[in-house]
Amino acid sequence: MYKSLAFIALFFIVMGFRNQKKRDYNPMFFNMTNELKDIAKDEPVFKFEVKSLDTAYSAQINHDVRLLSNSNGEPRVFFSDIETSVCADGECKLANIKVYWNLLGNYVGYGIHPELPLTKYEHDTFEREDYAKLHQLLLDENSILKRRKITDLIDKIPVSPSNIDSKDLDGISGATKKEIKESVVKGGLYSCYTLWHIVHGEAKEKIKTYLQSINTPALNTYFLYAPYRDYQIYALKQLNKAEFKEHSKQIASIFQSTDALTRTYVLKKIPEDVLSEQRTTSQFYDVFPHIDINSRTLLIKKLKDANSTAVEIVSKHVGYMTKNQLSMYLKYLEETYESLNGGVKYNLIKASNSKRYAYSYLIKEYLKNR
Amino acid sequence: MNKVNLILLIGLYLICANSKAQNLLIEAESFINKGGWVVDPQFVEQMGSPYLMAHGMGIPVTNASTRIAFNEKGMYHVWARTKNWVPGNWDAPGQFKIIVNGKALKKTLGVTTGWSWEYAGKVKIKSNDVDIQLSDLTGFNGRCDALYFSTSKKIPSDAETNLDAWRKAKLGETIAPKEQKAYDLVITGGGLAGCAAAIAAAEQGLKVALIHDRPVLGGNASEEIRVHTLGIYGKYERILKMIDTKHYPNGSFEARYDQEKRDRNVKSFKNIDLFLDWRAYDAVAHNNTIKHVDARHTATGERIRFTAPRFVDSTGDGWIGFWAGAEFSYGRESASTYGEAWDEWGELWSPEEADNFVMGSSVLWQNEKTNEVHAFPQLPWASSIAKDHKAIAGEWYWEFSRNDLHQIHDAEEIRDHMLRAIFGSFSNAKKLEENKNYKLQWVSYLVGKRESRRLIGDYIYTFNDVKTHTKFKDAVVEEVREVDVHYQRNLKDSKEPDFLSEAIFYETEKYYIPYRSLYSKNIDNLFMAGRNFSCSHIGLGGPRVMLTTGQMGAAVGLAAAICNKHNATPREVYTMHLEEYLDLIEKQQ
Repeated sequence: MYKSLAFIALFFIVMGFRNQKKRDYNPMFFNMTNELKDIAKDEPVFKFEVKSLDTAYSAQINHDVRLLSNSNGEPRVFFSDIETSVCADGECKLANIKVYWNLLGNYVGYGIHPELPLTKYEHDTFEREDYAKLHQLLLDENSILKRRKITDLIDKIPVSPSNIDSKDLDGISGATKKEIKESVVKGGLYSCYTLWHIVHGEAKEKIKTYLQSINTPALNTYFLYAPYRDYQIYALKQLNKAEFKEHSKQIASIFQSTDALTRTYVLKKIPEDVLSEQRTTSQFYDVFPHIDINSRTLLIKKLKDANSTAVEIVSKHVGYMTKNQLSMYLKYLEETYESLNGGVKYNLIKASNSKRYAYSYLIKEYLKNR
Repeated sequence: MNKVNLILLIGLYLICANSKAQNLLIEAESFINKGGWVVDPQFVEQMGSPYLMAHGMGIPVTNASTRIAFNEKGMYHVWARTKNWVPGNWDAPGQFKIIVNGKALKKTLGVTTGWSWEYAGKVKIKSNDVDIQLSDLTGFNGRCDALYFSTSKKIPSDAETNLDAWRKAKLGETIAPKEQKAYDLVITGGGLAGCAAAIAAAEQGLKVALIHDRPVLGGNASEEIRVHTLGIYGKYERILKMIDTKHYPNGSFEARYDQEKRDRNVKSFKNIDLFLDWRAYDAVAHNNTIKHVDARHTATGERIRFTAPRFVDSTGDGWIGFWAGAEFSYGRESASTYGEAWDEWGELWSPEEADNFVMGSSVLWQNEKTNEVHAFPQLPWASSIAKDHKAIAGEWYWEFSRNDLHQIHDAEEIRDHMLRAIFGSFSNAKKLEENKNYKLQWVSYLVGKRESRRLIGDYIYTFNDVKTHTKFKDAVVEEVREVDVHYQRNLKDSKEPDFLSEAIFYETEKYYIPYRSLYSKNIDNLFMAGRNFSCSHIGLGGPRVMLTTGQMGAAVGLAAAICNKHNATPREVYTMHLEEYLDLIEKQQ
């Protein structure tokens, strides 16, 4: 009896010690910058279930998702140390992986236990480039593996010399097969498939829900000023008009450096009283030649909301416009400017004489008809 | 009337007897012998006419030729309406010359930005019977809309600004076509939806006209575009199996076998009058009722007025509805319009503010591996789009959409952008030793559209109907395929080529489309089937594939039969004859 009690006590002490033990946050791949540098708190926040793909033993194991916070108590990253079985041809092996998600539930990196390397078919261990490829695969939230059952993939992967020799395959087109082959670790399809579905499964959804319970204006500001695109657009979506104005400098900075998707979102949402400030107009329109075509279209559409200086800024860059963008710009001038100011006219004449600009003839016609 | 006589007649007719100058307009697409040039009628609404194009995939095509009767001999100046389809700091890709009676005119054509009349040179016409040829110099999509011969050196006036009126005057066209044909049902657009509608209506005894602007049926499923049919058959398996495809890879040559089957089956119906190579150009409604649809032969220019009590718009672009004044939508609605937001994909799925980022159009292409080395040139005008992307074949994700481009109005630019992407990517791939034996086997020149106008019906089908699996009492189409909408990859990563897309999928159980989405809200005798049915942008994501649109067509064909029987409007099928209609559908299985 005493022996049993002593054993139970020892068990809890060891478990307690395990929970108190400072974890090693040293992922092999991590797509954030400083988020792991000042982790002072590590707390389990919910559990999620990992289902084995092994049809013979449909084991379900619960894992903790832990929230890592910094010394100021600010949440930074979600983490889970996962052990799962990876099964192929009736043979199952364990895979251990430490997964990191950002606060939106997007995968950002992983690590392994050095003594438990990931394995491929026939027990070969992952090479360095295999780990890198797995990281790239896990970063792809819309991977081709997402909608496929593992049974759809086997037997069809090894034979794909090129996408033209695949006419005989039913159900998976040649290009799809090629895409699968290119996205997974050679010989590691089962590991890749299993891990992708764990990383992008229930845990991710639960993180999104959990975020709602800890979200604060301060956290949204952190998102807005963080150098991550998913954080930025998430934060932008939360901003009201007053906040948009308050953070206009940072938003202009995001606009200059981000992707087309976020830029177009910013341009759609930016309130007129923000864009019409001369400084903001300059920040947005000066980068006209350096940004994507879709955002340029929206900049032209937004001329009516921008400071009047925008018209002249854009006139310097007509040589970057598509045919339709040029038409939109000239139409705007037609409707709003009774007479062109000197700077705009000078720039248009210059562009109309350009041999490099394909649509210079349209500017010539426009100037002729005024 | 045979084509030769028609050309001669046009030639004679155009000699302006009362003017000092003799002039003659020749539509290029009316050339008797097209040689290796193809008739491209896709952009008539934008640039005024079908045109001939030298689609040789880099190998100059054989000459197109025709014979024209000139009334007057003498010195003529010659222009061609053409354009440099890739203006830039390189040689124009699509160059050609005009040959008159065996003599090439001086100027090379296809070199000016934008459609315009390019001066070809002058030629002395010594006999009344004149042989005219178009000689392709590059094999890269030179295009010629029309030729203009005049004894005056004055360039054709108002050609760019008022071409349509000028053309009509030169061709002496009256407003109404002289030939008229009456049917029980006139269907415009011979894709899967139009074919299914024609079969279903014909099987019920209706006299049907099926107007289609290509020589073969099937639209995106045809051997000219080669997208395989996806989706389920619903209650119309028997009908749809006459026109569907096998599940070969998109772009496969196997499309030709299904093409033969489809054409043979549709042609086997005695009460379907098939008007292949006829493109509708107008539809007129009075008091919200369409009176007629006018169509023109894409090569000869002959015209027919089609009358019927009811019409089907299966043009894909919703042209019949558009001309008739039907309400329509275009673009992506805001997420709040119908409550279609999906947080997982945010702006890529449904934007907070409406925009024009619709799904793009594809141009498919395929290679052939041979036993010998094939060279393919470096093409600066193509590599400016392809950049360093390498590929030896295309797939569905070769797709182009951009927010300054409209999928209908700018379809030519979209198609041309894709051609540049294809030729440039193939050229890059050919630099690799492993690809030395590949050559281009086939590149489509037709735009395979996913999304354009959506005509508005009594019910607008949305994402919510998929999510909730709404079991409409007038459900006539069913589908299990995931909702699948696309976005351009370069929206998220500027390093990605602008001509490749990514798909977002929403997995789902079976969902249903109501009959009320298949007839116009404000045009009383107009059905629609195909991608121009009544839906939101996201609502289109699932049912836009061709077995589903085929189901819509079959449902509409049967509804037309009910209309015919009771002299009812499409709406009255729902309000007064729904049970009978649903019974008729059940009998199709």
